[in-house]
Amino acid sequence: MKMQRVQALAWKEWREIVRDRLFFALAFVVPALLMVLFGYGLSFDVENVPFALIDHDRTAQSRDYGYRFIGSRYFDFKGYAANEADAYDLIAGGEVRAVLVIPPGFGRDLAQGRPAQVQTLIDGTFPNRALTIRGYVGAINAERSLDSAANYLAARSGLPYADVRARLQPVTLEVRYLFNEAVLSIWSLAPKLIMLILMISPPFLTALGVVREKENGSIFNIYASDISRGEFLLGKLAPYVAISCVNSLLLWLMAVGLYRVPFKGDFAFFALASVVYVACTTGVGLVVSVLVRTQIAAMIVTMVITLIPAVLYSGLIIPVTSLSDAASFVAHAMPAMYYADIVVGCFLKGAGVAELWRPLLVLALYACALFAAGYALFSKRPAS
Amino acid sequence: MNALSLWCLQLKVMFGKELRQLGRDRVLLAFIVYAFTVDIFLAASGVSLQLKLASTYVEDVDHSSASRELASRFLPPYFQLQGELASERAADAALSSGRAMLVLTVPAGFGEDLARGEPTHVQLQVDTSNAVLGFLAASYAEQIVARFGLETVDAGKTPLPVIENRTRVWFNPNQEDSWFMGISELLNVITIFSVLLPAAAAVREKERGTIEQLLVSPLTPLQILLPKVLSMTLVILAGTALALFGVLRPCFGVPMAGSVPAFFALTALYVFTSAGFGLLAATVARNLAQAGMLTILILAPMLFLSGAWTPPEAMPEWLAVFTHFSPLYYFINISFGLLLKGQTVAALWPSVLGMMALGMAAFAAGLLRFRRQFG
Repeated sequence: MKMQRVQALAWKEWREIVRDRLFFALAFVVPALLMVLFGYGLSFDVENVPFALIDHDRTAQSRDYGYRFIGSRYFDFKGYAANEADAYDLIAGGEVRAVLVIPPGFGRDLAQGRPAQVQTLIDGTFPNRALTIRGYVGAINAERSLDSAANYLAARSGLPYADVRARLQPVTLEVRYLFNEAVLSIWSLAPKLIMLILMISPPFLTALGVVREKENGSIFNIYASDISRGEFLLGKLAPYVAISCVNSLLLWLMAVGLYRVPFKGDFAFFALASVVYVACTTGVGLVVSVLVRTQIAAMIVTMVITLIPAVLYSGLIIPVTSLSDAASFVAHAMPAMYYADIVVGCFLKGAGVAELWRPLLVLALYACALFAAGYALFSKRPAS
Repeated sequence: MNALSLWCLQLKVMFGKELRQLGRDRVLLAFIVYAFTVDIFLAASGVSLQLKLASTYVEDVDHSSASRELASRFLPPYFQLQGELASERAADAALSSGRAMLVLTVPAGFGEDLARGEPTHVQLQVDTSNAVLGFLAASYAEQIVARFGLETVDAGKTPLPVIENRTRVWFNPNQEDSWFMGISELLNVITIFSVLLPAAAAVREKERGTIEQLLVSPLTPLQILLPKVLSMTLVILAGTALALFGVLRPCFGVPMAGSVPAFFALTALYVFTSAGFGLLAATVARNLAQAGMLTILILAPMLFLSGAWTPPEAMPEWLAVFTHFSPLYYFINISFGLLLKGQTVAALWPSVLGMMALGMAAFAAGLLRFRRQFG
């Protein structure tokens, strides 16, 4: 392998990229813009859940119960509904996600010391949101329920209310949130966005690199030259890896500067891992490019094998541990998951080589495997 | 031959050309089939958003029967007790290595305090690297501890005036992730193809120069662009039928509560709308590499900010306004309305109207730019 030939090809590729001004600009604009959009737009905090209330009871007790929800920052009160049929329309139309129904006799039951029942109707279209809403409802209800029991016991026993309340809840749970102390989802999100965006953008930069020459016929210049397969692939890849490395630095700066995510780890290690990771993701594009015959096919294949898995199997939205076997296999077959471990570790946990050498090793092997695949698939003497 | 039938004939010929061109790209066809079947199957079967068997360790300093009783309540399906940790340092190590998601620490004297009726506390450390699951784990744990406390206090005493809140979840009573994941994955695949395919088909003609041939022919710009969209619509509808009747219904029992013909009609409309965005991008791009980056710029926000993952109410206001410019936002309402909720088209007309308006605007803008470039 002669470095001179690699250099010449990389330089030719680089000039080609730079001369296509729109493409060159998009190569940097797209990742940055996605970082801004996702950083502000992708929030997994379920807050301000629009909800409506049906109060059949209309007593002081039922009003107080309803106000616990109205006053909560998790819920956004949209008004009273008359009956269950209205509730159905509201939920089906997506105007509210939950309806709280207080039946007649609620206040009377509580006043007489009997358990009372209420019902919450939840829109199950988006299951994870439904689960979170259930969690909120449960918590607010438990709190109010305890108040009501304590009130009743205090009135009967004559003890002060606060004592009774404390006795009813003998064990308090102190929750300590680790690694993301404020449970700010932007802290856990921004590092993973670096992973996501570097999974989406680089393959697309590279995907058309080889197949374009095939479609244009300029590939015959390569076939006829004395450049070897390995030199050709390396030279093709180099400029795109360089662009993506600049982008990863840019994204890191945005995470730290714009979103104020603390970076606790070792920057040198992070930089090394990022270079290996973008080598993987640009490599994916290169292999696709070598494999297919038309540019359209290259675009579709890249889209299907990167964008879709990046949504589902990268651990961004759904943690890899809660995937089924088949999906977890897909996740393990993608470089995204390993890099996610590295970024989250570097940003939030302050981890370094000692903890994270394993995912880095996997990424390095992955890059080598991709290169080997590209080498095997690319032939200077195509069959037809 | 009158003008109209000539117009239709020209359209038909172009339509046939587009279909043939698409059919000859075997790799492309294979991936279309893959995306509408295997990919959707994987997404629907493989993904669960619920807290499942969160790896839990206990650091029990107290070693009383009460502490053991409390720990034993951290049960599947939410929690999985992995064992005991001897020291705080072991707990830290387990948490930072990711082996433990939760560590419950019961302090010394917990059992005695409880027996004497004195308030006491336990500590839960939660790995919130994943904020959603961290929140869910903490809220389930709080419920477990509250119930444990209440039961220790009044084991078998008179019923108290507590409030029971029964939750009923509509449209997906068991919170089947497969329904949500399967349908939203189908919508994602439809979106990707309907933006990318027509855009790529148009730019390819520009890049190769075959567009010049079309321009000197008696075809109008509409007759050049429309067949591209129509042929892709046909392919995407076939794929959708395959996904619905070949995967989602037989494998996962997605209910399809509303009208299926209406769903297909509106899918066709949606493909048209998104294709309009693709064509608009195609008029900007000069080659496929540019088109690729531009479609990412259109697609990625459309897919992630459609409202399926983050509801508009959770976004900052300036961004929530943007969701109304994403046709997928409307199409999600329509699809979940028709497939899960069993709504009628009449109830969905605001979404249909919104989608139609967007599509017409994008298409008109695309045509206009195309005319100006080549007119």
